[in-house]
Amino acid sequence: MSAVIQTYTLTKKFKQDEVIKPLNFSVEKGEICALIGKNGAGKSTIFKMLSGQLTPTTGEIYLFGKSGKDMVQAKRRMGFMIETPVFFPDFTAIHNLEYFRIQRGVAEKKRINEVLEIVGLANQKKKKFGEYSMGMKQRLGIALSLLSSPDCLVLDEPINGLDAEGIMEIRRLLIQLNQEKKITILISSHILTELQLVATRFVFIKNGVIVEDVSKQLLDEKSRKQIHLKVDDTGKTAQLLERAYEDIQYKSLPDQIITIQNHIEEAGEINRLLIKNDVFVMEFRVEALNLEEYFLGLVEGAGEK
Amino acid sequence: MINYIKSENYRLLRKKSLYLTTAICFILITAAAFVLYYFNEVDAHFPYGTSSFFYSNVLGMGVLIIIISFVYNATLTGKDISLTKQAVSFGISQSSIFWSKLMLTLCYFMFVCIVGILLMIGLGEILFAKEPETTGNFLIASFNMVPIVLSGFILIHTLKMLKISDIYNIIIIVFIYIFSGDLLYFVFRQINGWNEFYLFAPSTQLNDNLMSFMNQSMQLDYRYWVTGIVISVIALFIGAATFTKQDIG
Ligand SMILES: Nc1ncnc2c1ncn2[C@@H]1O[C@H](COP(=O)(O)OP(=O)(O)O)[C@@H](O)[C@H]1O
Ligand SMILES: [Mg+2]
Repeated sequence: MSAVIQTYTLTKKFKQDEVIKPLNFSVEKGEICALIGKNGAGKSTIFKMLSGQLTPTTGEIYLFGKSGKDMVQAKRRMGFMIETPVFFPDFTAIHNLEYFRIQRGVAEKKRINEVLEIVGLANQKKKKFGEYSMGMKQRLGIALSLLSSPDCLVLDEPINGLDAEGIMEIRRLLIQLNQEKKITILISSHILTELQLVATRFVFIKNGVIVEDVSKQLLDEKSRKQIHLKVDDTGKTAQLLERAYEDIQYKSLPDQIITIQNHIEEAGEINRLLIKNDVFVMEFRVEALNLEEYFLGLVEGAGEK
Repeated sequence: MINYIKSENYRLLRKKSLYLTTAICFILITAAAFVLYYFNEVDAHFPYGTSSFFYSNVLGMGVLIIIISFVYNATLTGKDISLTKQAVSFGISQSSIFWSKLMLTLCYFMFVCIVGILLMIGLGEILFAKEPETTGNFLIASFNMVPIVLSGFILIHTLKMLKISDIYNIIIIVFIYIFSGDLLYFVFRQINGWNEFYLFAPSTQLNDNLMSFMNQSMQLDYRYWVTGIVISVIALFIGAATFTKQDIG
């Protein structure tokens, strides 16, 4: 089994509130899987169940193919950072990480400096955790998740609170860890664009339900721009387009709308072509899909029925 | 679990409150001894310049000792409990966390108590006139207090691990170790067979222990252990069972 994380009909209820609906979800080895959902969608709740901080109401979790008591060993191969990381406020980064190094049985002390280097905190050795900014806390949380050299990282909104430069660094770091160290990564965010350049797979969650699960390739296809046309004669338009561009990709939609998925850079020529041939063009625009709205907005309507 | 205990020990030894409390306790004990000694030297009729009076002060402060144990307990509980979410994520069980924190703080607390008793006996022997039975009686009285104080420590640990706020925690402790005897006396005094039940209340026992010491009628008493063990077992049973099942995210 190559699934690093696997859940079967996992649910979580808080009192009567079913926050996670039966969830069958897996993360395959080598993936960078992004879990995208608005605040309150249930991202952290799923992660907490994976880490053991919350007991699932029903369902099963397998980490590296292990479940129940056998999972203890598998958990040592995981690095979790869920919500805001917590450390001793009166300790420096080194003391805090030393505490966890002892706890996790990491043999080499120099690993502490390595992970601090990786997250860019190596030059903040004197500062106590209590004096850290949000972004620094987040970085130390990532350092902790790396401390025991895990094979799988689970990061809950790790980009929260970082400045633009920090976001770029973390993105670069995640890609590097994934490609060089072959670390599988599950990462959540409430903003798709934060992860669009990083992840290889995108899972959209809404009110505790997975509503879309797409590969990077499919996402890119969907997010590509298109030309949106409203014309009086769609048949004639199609004919003209096919004649002028052999490989044209278009869709005929109701209400005399045609969308064209390629040759977008030639929008001007296409427009002229139609007008020259007496097609009456009522609308002509180049549009980009807002995928967040597309995936998450879509279900809002469905959920409200 | 060993690694977890080691890491908690690392944390504990870097807590200022631990050193501060210990220092303050030892300084107060020493200061009290010297104050009594001083008055005894300047005033020939000063009645309290004896080791038995010196010892009785500490025996009379059972509740204060339990409150001090609160500080030792808090070195690994209190706000630090929020770090356990990261320990749990790494596969450390909640029951390991519960027992490790308890055992570790309890060891340090008992160590400090033993040093405190030795310090008192040392001061008592050096500064005050020899009284043949006193030191032995003090050791017996201290031994009788052990189960009561430990039950207080364990109860505090459980309440702290279950995130009961400090105020309620202290109210519960004060109630059990100061007022429980009076309450049991009033509730059960009319009921045949139960009217001596209050003698098992920790507050009554702390008082009785002090009285026996002052009357020089000191002896070891199993009933202190009955009470101490009952309170401890109930606290541990509830604590370990509840904390282990508790969601901590
Ligand atoms: N301990 C809790 N008790 C009750 N409700 C909770 C608790 N934790 C989370 N929730 C609810 O569960 C839902 C999902 O929360 P969460 O997983 O934190 O969302 P996200 O991380 O996606 O923002 C929210 O509606 C939240 O109010
Ligand atoms: Mg969250």
